[in-house]
Amino acid sequence: MATVEIKELRKSFGDVEALHGISFAISDGVFVALVGPSGCGKSTILRLIAGLEEITSGEVHIGDKVINEVEPKNRNIAMVFQNYALYPHLTVAQNMGFSLRLLKKSKPEIESAVQHAAEILGIDQLLDRLPKQLSGGQRQRVAMGRAIVRQPEVFLFDEPLSNLDAKLRVQMRAELKALHRRLGTTTIYVTHDQIEAMTMADIVVVMRDGNIEQVGAPLELYDSPVNQFVAGFIGSPAMNFFPVTTTQGSDEFVFSDGQSFSLPAHRELEGSYTIGLRPEHIRQGKGLQVEIEASEQTGSETLLQARLADQEMTILLRERFTAAPGEIHEFSVDPSMAKLFDTKSGARVGV
Amino acid sequence: MSAKARTRRNNALIDILLFLICFVLLTPLILLVANGFKTPAEMLVWPPTLFPKDPTLENFQKVFTETPLLRWIFNSLMFALLSTIAIVATSALAGYIIGKFPFRTINIIFVLFLTTAIIPFEVYMIPLYFQVKALGALNSIGGLLIGYLVMSFGIFLIRQNVIASIPDELLEAARIDGAGEFWIFWRVVLPLLKGPLAALAVLAFFQAWTTFAWPIIVLTRKTSFTIEVGLANFQSAYTVELSLLSAASAAVMVPSVLAFVLLRRHFVEGITASGMKE
Ligand SMILES: Nc1ncnc2c1ncn2[C@@H]1O[C@H](COP(=O)(O)OP(=O)(O)O)[C@@H](O)[C@H]1O
Ligand SMILES: [Mg+2]
Repeated sequence: MATVEIKELRKSFGDVEALHGISFAISDGVFVALVGPSGCGKSTILRLIAGLEEITSGEVHIGDKVINEVEPKNRNIAMVFQNYALYPHLTVAQNMGFSLRLLKKSKPEIESAVQHAAEILGIDQLLDRLPKQLSGGQRQRVAMGRAIVRQPEVFLFDEPLSNLDAKLRVQMRAELKALHRRLGTTTIYVTHDQIEAMTMADIVVVMRDGNIEQVGAPLELYDSPVNQFVAGFIGSPAMNFFPVTTTQGSDEFVFSDGQSFSLPAHRELEGSYTIGLRPEHIRQGKGLQVEIEASEQTGSETLLQARLADQEMTILLRERFTAAPGEIHEFSVDPSMAKLFDTKSGARVGV
Repeated sequence: MSAKARTRRNNALIDILLFLICFVLLTPLILLVANGFKTPAEMLVWPPTLFPKDPTLENFQKVFTETPLLRWIFNSLMFALLSTIAIVATSALAGYIIGKFPFRTINIIFVLFLTTAIIPFEVYMIPLYFQVKALGALNSIGGLLIGYLVMSFGIFLIRQNVIASIPDELLEAARIDGAGEFWIFWRVVLPLLKGPLAALAVLAFFQAWTTFAWPIIVLTRKTSFTIEVGLANFQSAYTVELSLLSAASAAVMVPSVLAFVLLRRHFVEGITASGMKE
């Protein structure tokens, strides 16, 4: 087990810089998720930590060592790839024991390590099979088993669940989390799925275009996003954004259709802003006039597609609610729940 | 007529047609083998008999005593085996490197490899002959092998297979697992290329086994002939010793047929590979 620290990490592919000076530190035993849209550089960070790509500049520390120049095999890490990367010609047991065999461990030693890992993952009856004889979920477990067997100081996961169906994904999420609790190994987990990041990680790193947008605990990101990007990325369904204007001394923020929303805490502001309202914070009650476009009832909740100030929005109600398309209904939001962003920079106002 | 009956009739017609085609294709081979057992007199009978009336082993006895046929078979076998080993080794190594380490210079070299495929061997056969001669390698398997150590198609075939069937992550996983580059090639890449390499081996073996132009100019001593050259030797400028040629050819077919039966599956793979499946 070990800490991981990244300092001013940069990576260029030819003329294109994919990472623009990334820094973060991970304490020993913490489960960190790197999350962000596709192409934002998550995998690149992981591959730099693993030593699969050359670092352009910056430092990677594992424990108290700078490992920039250390061979992948000597970094004491294990990586699980999106496509599992199991050796197709080797059995499950041989796949899992591959690294130990290379370490010239004795046969009984390898066997017992493999057996132990297989039992943890519930795949001990599959040890003689070839990867092609396994289901997606089983392959996923074998890939994890191969990582566990090495007893590395750091686990690196690159979108390990994205090839599984939705139900299995939820189940594996829980299993991975339980595994982390049991082994306590420092884990860096890459995903583009914010729900995975939110449900599994102790700390979430939100990235965009080769930069870190925010680092924080899952609920911290949800409750106080530092900018519009994080606010829109974290949470499902996604936050609704509307352009609003205000004048100094007034707590009214005016939508493009003339309706207004009162934010007493932001009296002193002046000019154009973007207001963010989470779908689940919107309630029935006096306030904003909204045109209903469609409604979905799941029994426990109601999801409304609606229109406010000429813009699409989503409303999530905890209660049952029936409305025909085209009807106008009134909804309100607790002002303390609304988020205000600078329109130009996207930075959140008042943090 | 019901649909079922019609299908059955069509299938029967197809069977008959295929049988006829097989017969037409096989007749020369059957005649060849039969001729080997015929007396010189029966050889000239018209129409030719499909089965000899009075089978004799004399032709075979004569072939094996008067010509070093076994020696030729041995030469061909050695040449084909060594060429196969060399081609499989060079193609595996070069195909893997070109497929997985695509530096610009390597890509240029690859294009150069490919261009050799469109230059017929006959074009540079004569200059190559003079080089082999200068090396003093005429009449030797070594001299014969020059030109049959590398097959540009083989490199191409392996490169395509490496790109299509060996994901980068597999090699990266092995590197993280602690494997060195040679170990990865030997223990991960080669086992995964077993299929295409076997197909390539069959192609390479039969290319060498059946080649004619190069051996006939490099080999002048009777004991160093390959089969193809040896058989051609029965046809001198003025006479064709038909019964001996038939017997020799029939004898030579034995290893070919044997090899084909043993390697049938890979042979088909090799043919489909050369037709480029992707
Ligand atoms: N080997 C490479 N060569 C060139 N560009 C690359 C390479 N790997 C990644 N990139 C680029 O770097 C950026 C980040 O990629 P990546 O880390 O894979 O994103 P993510 O994993 O977040 O989807 C992308 O724009 C991608 O095109
Ligand atoms: Mg990625």
